[in-house]
Amino acid sequence: MLGLGKGPAGKYVSQRTQERVRRVSVILTALLVAIFVSIPVYVMIAIAFQPATTTFRGGTVNLLFDSFTFENFVLLFTDTGTPRYLFNSLIVTASSTLLATALSVAAGYGLTRFEFRGKTMAARAVLFAYMFSPIVLAIPLYVIFFTLGLLDSYFALTLALTGISAPFGIWLMWQYFQTVPIALEESAWIRGASRTRTLWEVVLPVARPGTIATAIFSFSVAWNDFTMARVVMSQDEMYPITVGASLFLDRVTIGWSETMAAAVLMSLPPFAIALFLQNYLLQGFNVGGLE
Amino acid sequence: MARPIRLDTVCKEYHTAGTTHVAVDDLSLEIPEGSFTTIVGPSGCGKTTTLRMIAGLETPTSGTIHFGDRDVTEVRPQDRNAAMVFQSIALYPHMTVRENIAYGLKVAGVPKAERDAAVDEAAETLQITEQLDKMPAELSGGQQQRVALGSAFVQDPDVLLLDEPMSDLDAKLKAELRVEVQRLHKEMDATMVYVTHDQTEAMTMSDHVLLLEEGRLAQFAPPGDLFDRPVSQYVAEFIGTPSTNTLPATVEAADDGPTIVGEQFEIPAPEDRFADRIGDSVTVGIRPQYLSPDEGDHRIRVIVNVVEQLGTEFVVHGTSVNGAHVNVVDESVDGAGPDDELSVGFEAADAFVFDEHGETICHGDALVAARSASPSQ
Repeated sequence: MLGLGKGPAGKYVSQRTQERVRRVSVILTALLVAIFVSIPVYVMIAIAFQPATTTFRGGTVNLLFDSFTFENFVLLFTDTGTPRYLFNSLIVTASSTLLATALSVAAGYGLTRFEFRGKTMAARAVLFAYMFSPIVLAIPLYVIFFTLGLLDSYFALTLALTGISAPFGIWLMWQYFQTVPIALEESAWIRGASRTRTLWEVVLPVARPGTIATAIFSFSVAWNDFTMARVVMSQDEMYPITVGASLFLDRVTIGWSETMAAAVLMSLPPFAIALFLQNYLLQGFNVGGLE
Repeated sequence: MARPIRLDTVCKEYHTAGTTHVAVDDLSLEIPEGSFTTIVGPSGCGKTTTLRMIAGLETPTSGTIHFGDRDVTEVRPQDRNAAMVFQSIALYPHMTVRENIAYGLKVAGVPKAERDAAVDEAAETLQITEQLDKMPAELSGGQQQRVALGSAFVQDPDVLLLDEPMSDLDAKLKAELRVEVQRLHKEMDATMVYVTHDQTEAMTMSDHVLLLEEGRLAQFAPPGDLFDRPVSQYVAEFIGTPSTNTLPATVEAADDGPTIVGEQFEIPAPEDRFADRIGDSVTVGIRPQYLSPDEGDHRIRVIVNVVEQLGTEFVVHGTSVNGAHVNVVDESVDGAGPDDELSVGFEAADAFVFDEHGETICHGDALVAARSASPSQ
């Protein structure tokens, strides 16, 4: 027996070496992940910003930049339904993000601050709902929307997407509100502020990182959704960009270059959000116990 | 306008998982208008629950609470014109110090210019003028508590409630803020109720002290009365540091009347209160401050365990011959060290006598009266 785990820290390997090993492994892991993530992104950019003739010259894929063009994007906007698809995506994403965030904030606050019969059950049901894969919900939702005559409407897709993002959002806000001390609210009540006013002026500002994390999550669910849109929407002019772009390749005039240009367009909003709101995102998810 | 606070048979029960926990049990008292009352007691004795019921954050299970003539038992906290300072300080982290202090006024719809004037005045009183434009997170603990006091101050409440506001501060800041709180009390026209588990705070700051024991009123009296005339062994032991010494004794019949006989002392007892207690076991309580190596008619021997020096005084922790823990506080202990035997004495006038349920039978003055009535002793 070596007796590992006994003795003072640094007995077998000096603390300095341990620290060095830790740092090197963190950097290596980060590097590996970065390479995995950035190569596909580079390929996307390289194809999107070069003329198809350059990229596919000589029967191979040429990924080194030697010319630069926006012609793929121009073609997208003139020859395809891309503007319409983007508009659809925007409408559905915005409304679903709003609805899911409002729902999560309200439900999270209620779960944290009020005692009611079946509270634990409700909380568990919410988390359980999050476990379902979207496709499991897709067929029943289709049946429901078909019965209600809501297929091919923004409203239906908004509801469907909210159904996917809200459970996690509720759970996140529930966790977040637990970190807001009740004394903050009580002190506002005693100073004369009503419950609603306290919620707006004290609770929500303090819970902003959680709310923003929830909003970002619902945004990314809605913006990146393919499954629900494919099920709920059946007319070309109602497709969001995800579904729309996937159909480009069926057409003769549209090739990989245009598809990659569409992919670039799709990536821009999430990229911008990640860039500007990453602090909030980290704070919000930290409390949820995720890192 | 300060108002008296009247609690009438107030009870508060909590039900969790089928068990009932009584936090406050049949509490009746009247806190005089404009007074400074401290609620004190060990953890879990219901003091914070009592304060929260006065604030309106909890509703009594039964009983009523009045502010003056107004029944506020069911009134929302928003409508009581009370202010409260919390143990956790509870400053809004997203507002500046100025906004924090003015929030109550803003809710009340006071115009901005008036709000600013009130905040400036409060800040000056509490010496936080320099901090007004900072965020709460940039302040030290003591400054944060001053801001919390300032928020209460600007509101001009009828009733100001403080829930262990200093429990997270260090000793020096506590001493500073204690003075601050008392000064605020003088400047404000409000009935102040202060919750603490620190009996030094209770004894030094207040006009009245409410001592709770497991949700019931143990004693409600001015601090001096709690110290000199405790109604029970619990009160005598809780108030005062070190705790009151308790020496077991029995009441015996002597030629000249009942006598309280301990291991090493005999105290003549008044006929009227002890005649029917012959043979009962009682407890004699004596404060460590009243035990002295040089003086006292009744002497006990103490084996010294530890001697602590507190500035000009010494605290001796020891054991009496029959094993009871005995503390002595005196200016000189004649160089006594561990394992030495020390003889200390006390006057009957300083003693308390408790029955076997811990209720006070009589205080020292009654014992002295007994002696003067029987000159043969």
